Amino acid sequence: MNQEFHYAPFRVEAGKIREFALALGLRNPVYFNKEAALDAGYRDIPAPPTYTTVIDFWNELDFYQLFKAWGLDPNDILHGEQSFEYEKDIISGDVISAKSVLTDRFDKKDKRFYQIETTYRNQENEVVRIGRATLIERREQHGAEIAGHS
Amino acid sequence: MAQKLPDIHKKALAPIDMVRYSGASGDFNEIHTVPKVARSKGFKEPIAHGMLLMGWAADALDEWFPGRKLSKFTVRFVGMAHAGEAFIIEGMLTTDNAGELQIKDASGTGKLVGSFELA
Repeated sequence: MNQEFHYAPFRVEAGKIREFALALGLRNPVYFNKEAALDAGYRDIPAPPTYTTVIDFWNELDFYQLFKAWGLDPNDILHGEQSFEYEKDIISGDVISAKSVLTDRFDKKDKRFYQIETTYRNQENEVVRIGRATLIERREQHGAEIAGHS
Repeated sequence: MAQKLPDIHKKALAPIDMVRYSGASGDFNEIHTVPKVARSKGFKEPIAHGMLLMGWAADALDEWFPGRKLSKFTVRFVGMAHAGEAFIIEGMLTTDNAGELQIKDASGTGKLVGSFELA
């Protein structure tokens, strides 16, 4: 317990937001068009509600390094639950820092559960998002499919 | 008080959608894209990223509540989603600014259940 991981600061860019929004099939024009974003009251293109995944993974210090530091094989990890609290917008041009903390770990049958809380801050050191994930490590690979994704 | 929101029908998930989401998100866990790895981990075929479904759910919220921002959004991934399956997103407004949603396949099997609060 008490494990912490610091992601490298990550610059949010409109082109990456566009790619992510296209991959999800998002239809809100604020993710594609600066005029639409300004009309909606943003100062530039905003990041979609699940964009912090990009910060977790497309980073110099990323989730794979967290897995390695915590002794996990990413291909054995399923995503059980995810929640977000939205404190402030994340906007193209922002530089986001993030810190993950392992808040709980417990075993249930042949699975180990990890609860991870990640706090994302912008360049003004304001908290923008808090993410809470439950990850499930499958310790027995031969059973039937279990509930949960990665 | 509870008010049902209009169902949203997603077109069938294609393998390329999972490849595209892997690249866009940076989550290259091979159980989502490489059949051999998925099988070696006990799955019959690649499974969709949970966060791909959560992204769809966020898009549904944008459609139901245009121009509204989220303050909280919580989901549980209750079933595997595979290529070839089509999905329905159902939602319910339970108070003025909060509600629940779920994603099911055409046979009614749940994939995601969640709750949300609008800002």
